[in-house]
Amino acid sequence: MPSGTTLLDALEEGSFATAMRESIWLYPAVETVHIIGFAILVGAVIMFDLRVLGISKRVPVRMLAQHLLPWALAALLLIIPAGFLMFSADANSLITNRAFVLKMVLLVLAASNATAFHLGALRNVEHWDQGTTAPRSARLHAVASLLIWLGVITCGRMIAYV
Amino acid sequence: MRNALTLTLALLLIAVPAAAHHGWSSYDGNDPLTLTGTILEASYTYPHGTIMLETPDKTWLTVLAPPSRMSARGLPSSDLTVGAKATVEGYPSRQDPKEMRAERITIHGKTIELR
Repeated sequence: MPSGTTLLDALEEGSFATAMRESIWLYPAVETVHIIGFAILVGAVIMFDLRVLGISKRVPVRMLAQHLLPWALAALLLIIPAGFLMFSADANSLITNRAFVLKMVLLVLAASNATAFHLGALRNVEHWDQGTTAPRSARLHAVASLLIWLGVITCGRMIAYV
Repeated sequence: MRNALTLTLALLLIAVPAAAHHGWSSYDGNDPLTLTGTILEASYTYPHGTIMLETPDKTWLTVLAPPSRMSARGLPSSDLTVGAKATVEGYPSRQDPKEMRAERITIHGKTIELR
C-alpha cells in the first residue's frame, strides 16, 4: 500500500505533469482554461443565487435554472481537468498549502449546499417560480452559495500568495 | 438579508486586494538577503524556477520566477548554468531556514528582475 506522499510523487512524475512544469506555454494555457471555466460556472451560480434572493423576480426561476445549469455543468469539463493538471505539476507543495486545502473544503461545502438545495427548496419551486419571494430556506442556500463560491475564488487566488 | 449580503460583498472587495498586496507572505520582507554563490542545480519549471545556490555558510534553495517571465525578461534556461556564479537578492522563507525567494538575480554580468 503506497503512502499518500508516494502517490503524490507518482502524480508529479507523470508525463503530463512533467510537461506542465517544463513547457513554456502549457502551464499558463491550462491556467487560462481553468479561469474561463470557472468564470462561466461561478458567473452562472451567482446570477442564479441573486435571482433566488429576489433580484429580477419577473424572471421565472425554473426557466433561469434550465438555462444556467447546463452551462455550469459543462464548465466543469474545463475546470476539473485543468485544475487536476495544475495540481499534478506541484502536488506535494499544494497539499500542504493552506489556501488550497481550504479551497477543497469549500468546494465540498458548495457541492453539499447545491445538493441540499436541489433535494429541498427547489422541489416545490412552482410555488415561488415568478413574482414572489423565495422561501427562507431557498434564500439561505443562495446566501451560503454566494459566500462559499466567493471564498473558493479567493482561496484559489491566494494559493500563489501564502 | 440584502444588507448583510451587500456588506459581505463590500468587505470581500476590500479584503482581497489588501491580502493580495501582501504577496510573498511566506517570505520575510523585513530581512532582505544578498547571497553570492555557485549554482549546484537549476530547474526552469512551473510554477517557478529554482536554483540550489552554494554559499560559504549553506546551500540555499532559491525560488525564482515562472519560466515565461524569466524568458521574457532575458533569462533563458541556458543562462542558469550549473557551476556558474550568481548573486541573488531576496527574502528568507518564514518556514524553511534553507529557502529564500529572489527579487532579482545577477548572473553572467546581467541583472534580471524576477518579481
